Amino acid sequence: MAQRRELMKGSIDSLLLCLIGQQPMYGYQIIKELERRSQGYFKFKEGTLYPALHRLEKAGLLGGRWQALPNGRQRRYYHLTEKGLRNLVTKTNQWLDFLVAMNLIIQPASD
Amino acid sequence: MLTVLSHYLDSVRQNLRLDRSSESEVIRELETHIEDEFQELQEAGLSEEAAADTCLTLLGSAKLIARQIYEAHSQGSWTQALLAAMPHLLFGLLFALNWWRGIGWLLGMLVLVLSLAVYGWWRGKPAWLFPWLGYSLLPVVAAGLLLLYLPEGWSWVAIVIYIPLALWLLYSITVKTMKRDWLYTSLMLLPVPTIIGWFLAVEPVNQFPEYWLQRMQDFAPWIGLTFLALGVTVATFIRVRQRWLRVSVLVMSGLLTLTIVAYYTEGRLSMPAFLILIVVMLLLLLSPALVERTLRHTGQQ
Repeated sequence: MAQRRELMKGSIDSLLLCLIGQQPMYGYQIIKELERRSQGYFKFKEGTLYPALHRLEKAGLLGGRWQALPNGRQRRYYHLTEKGLRNLVTKTNQWLDFLVAMNLIIQPASD
Repeated sequence: MLTVLSHYLDSVRQNLRLDRSSESEVIRELETHIEDEFQELQEAGLSEEAAADTCLTLLGSAKLIARQIYEAHSQGSWTQALLAAMPHLLFGLLFALNWWRGIGWLLGMLVLVLSLAVYGWWRGKPAWLFPWLGYSLLPVVAAGLLLLYLPEGWSWVAIVIYIPLALWLLYSITVKTMKRDWLYTSLMLLPVPTIIGWFLAVEPVNQFPEYWLQRMQDFAPWIGLTFLALGVTVATFIRVRQRWLRVSVLVMSGLLTLTIVAYYTEGRLSMPAFLILIVVMLLLLLSPALVERTLRHTGQQ
């Protein structure tokens, strides 16, 4: 569990950029969506999500905007900025290279 | 919202130490999160109390969230760092270039300091304001001291009218700054130990003005150096995120500047005076934390 938490710590920015890049989302929605899509693997300590979102927003990778839901409640939606999009492309490529390299070691092709 | 959840949000708010608009945004956002979570847990069949407990467990420590959000927001830009360091750098240049005897430069500096202090105060008290605010209060203190030297019979004007008014002004500005964040009070008071150090080294008491003006002239490059060091300190303070690092930067700079004063005045600042100044410096820079805690405790009661 601790190892999984350490792995997540290093990849939280990529996960958030990737998810928000697909559609603008608010905090609670992000937590639920990450959990659902990863089939429970990515389970956040919820409080740690907001510092990460604010850090990315401060760095200019995300933007935040208050919007009203159909039920009248207000939620703060995060969207990807231009800078965030460029960062996401770089990060995605790095991840894919990393995964390919890991796979080559873990599952070596039989000659 | 249940009391326990409101208390949780209050605890986050108390530890955030952000400007008012950012603070209310953060609290509103966490509040909407709690509402969603609480409702979902209740719909899943949990009682009010159990839903609130689960909510708080899932969110984690209020202090930790507040600290992490503070660190996400606290780092100022390089422009803000330069603007915050500017009064110290200008004060340093005033001495390093020997402009401190020119009344025009002093008046120009005074107008600039007061204008920026007033501007920053009405623009929501950004972090760069506080060094300017510290310098803007110096003339208030200096005028009070000068009034005490009025001809016989007139010093009561200072004692009865000016000093109470000046003390009230200093008190209300300090308290308002402390309510924002005690570290900004320390930032405001940062040059005070250095100024006291140089004042003691020059020893203006019972001497002819020309005598101590000459001594100021001799020390001017080193006075300039200490203020340049304070400028670098303030820029570093604005750029670092963690509170413990900010406190360390302030204390280290206090030690450094007082050491420069003691070293370059070649024994004019005796060892006991030097040690007392270090204690005064620590009290000035760290006591706002205790006062802030007391103010909050009183406010809660």
